[in-house]
Amino acid sequence: MKPAVLVVFLKELRDSIRDRRTALMVFVASILTGPVTLVLVAQYVSGLEEKASVLKVRMAGREHAPALVNFLQRADVVIEDAPADYEAKVKEGRLDAVIVVPKDFDQQYLSGEGARVEIVYDDSRTESVPATRQAERLLRAFNREAGMLRLMARGVSPDIVEPVKVQHVNTATPRQKGAVLLFLIPMFAILSPLLGGMAVAIDSTAGERERGSLEPLLANPVRLWQVVMGKWLAAWTFASVVAVLTLAGFVAAAALYAGKRLAALLTFGPPELVHFVVLIVPFAAMTSGLQMLICTYGRSYREAQTYVSYLTTLVTFVPLIVMFSGLKDAMWQLLVPVLGQQVVFARIVRGDVPTANDYVIPSVIALAIALACVAAVARLLREERIVFGRG
Amino acid sequence: MIEARDLAKRFASRESPGRLVQAVKHVSFSAPDGRITGLLGPNGAGKTTTLRMISTLVAPSSGQALVDGIDTVADPLAVRARIGLLSDARGLYGRLTARENVFYYGELRGLAPEAIEAALARFTEWLDMAPLLGRRVEGFSTGERMKVLLARALVHDPPNVVLDEPTNGLDVMTTRALRDLIRRLREAGKCVLFSSHVMQEVSALCDSIVIVARGSVVASGSAEELLASSGRTNLEDAFVHLSGEEIAAIGMADAGRGTGP
Repeated sequence: MKPAVLVVFLKELRDSIRDRRTALMVFVASILTGPVTLVLVAQYVSGLEEKASVLKVRMAGREHAPALVNFLQRADVVIEDAPADYEAKVKEGRLDAVIVVPKDFDQQYLSGEGARVEIVYDDSRTESVPATRQAERLLRAFNREAGMLRLMARGVSPDIVEPVKVQHVNTATPRQKGAVLLFLIPMFAILSPLLGGMAVAIDSTAGERERGSLEPLLANPVRLWQVVMGKWLAAWTFASVVAVLTLAGFVAAAALYAGKRLAALLTFGPPELVHFVVLIVPFAAMTSGLQMLICTYGRSYREAQTYVSYLTTLVTFVPLIVMFSGLKDAMWQLLVPVLGQQVVFARIVRGDVPTANDYVIPSVIALAIALACVAAVARLLREERIVFGRG
Repeated sequence: MIEARDLAKRFASRESPGRLVQAVKHVSFSAPDGRITGLLGPNGAGKTTTLRMISTLVAPSSGQALVDGIDTVADPLAVRARIGLLSDARGLYGRLTARENVFYYGELRGLAPEAIEAALARFTEWLDMAPLLGRRVEGFSTGERMKVLLARALVHDPPNVVLDEPTNGLDVMTTRALRDLIRRLREAGKCVLFSSHVMQEVSALCDSIVIVARGSVVASGSAEELLASSGRTNLEDAFVHLSGEEIAAIGMADAGRGTGP
């Protein structure tokens, strides 16, 4: 004889697996969208990097500035001639930045009158920013070299005009740079259990009420907590499976970049996956429990769907808060559901090694909330207005 | 054996909170084993609430319901185990097949798979369910759904059978199959209690009739006894007379509400 919890659990699993439309929605919204977004963003980032890594400038009127051309060629910069209608092309976004040399440049440069060049760019187009900066940097370097040569020709030490020498020391490891890109993965890690558990949570609570199957179900000689526990375990299972599949999709997407320049930025492999899964499974227990609790108040599938979307919005808001508020890591954050998970996820993708507390504290809190939800649902189902109050 | 002892149920009114609606006031009757007892009354008389109290889904505000001598409040699980209920709510799981729907309740009731198969075989023969078993329930007609509901409610071969308005919306063929099933259950010595607002339905089947109006039992007995006590020659007149008299007695203040809930 199977225990009642198992009977309910298996029935809900079977029932939900047959719900093809929902399965497709979850597949597209979570398992597919996450990794595909990662690939798109990675393509974009690698495009930027490539643009900046090959030193290339476009010039109009290069014949008027032999000294500048000489400097650029010594610095291994590829010089391309800009087409005559460069201004229009910049506006259309087909050219990033063009250095325009006026006719009298060489004459003014040689006479030391402060020659003028223009950089033509469209700063409303973010993709043109690296090329514009590069052109600016090269011109500044040319300026400095020329200026120093002139000072030395007059017997002045170049150090006088450069009392402070600035050297760039970037402490971010390549992985930490990648974390900017990898904010996507924590976001989907938090979102995917909500998407995965939603259908079962709604169907097994508000769905039962709407269908009129709750009343006969409760007429069976089974304790309420057993019924609720079975349903919650089914929702938890779906939420966890969808979360794990979504994260595995990210591993596959990141693996596409193995061996490329971006690989160092996209370190999300099986070890990171394991860390994520350890955190996400208890988290999924909590989201499924919360979903079931709020859905029990819904008299129909649609009503419950609305309630669930409030919860989803609330939960997905947390990663955004962390991204834009610049919260510094602190112990108390581990105590806040969702925020705790988010903080530890961020640490993992940055390449930090989380401590035992990072896993235990958020997970224990999540499981406690989950069990409280199960108890609350069982309590609600004791109320006549819930069982008999149909839409 | 099902006994109701002065059952009463008050709800908080949905329209005007704070006001109590008395759905059931005084319901007492006894439904013995091996007999079919009909709970007859107009819509809103309190039949469904009475059956819910008997099947432990609703706690009585006062009074007591006993199933095979077990108090429904004291030991609801034991009562549920001894009842097969066709409730007012008729939900099935559309994505499961007829067989899976019946198996779900069988397993919840702790039956072995062989016992569930045996019950299925019995109902397949009685209700002509063979073509339904392997199909998903979502496309079923009302009659087909009723067959699955009955098999599901009675999968554990309960000694007490409670059916809430079982003939509602059924076609002639299914109604006949249902009547045959109810008679079979009586022959097997079960206590069968069913509710209906259709007088012909009750008079055709029941060994004893309990007439409920506005939350109270107004008359009970066999068809002949009811005719005699009302002084009418046909049961329909007797029913109208007995339930109508009660309504009149309740007073003119409520008369505008008719027999509504």
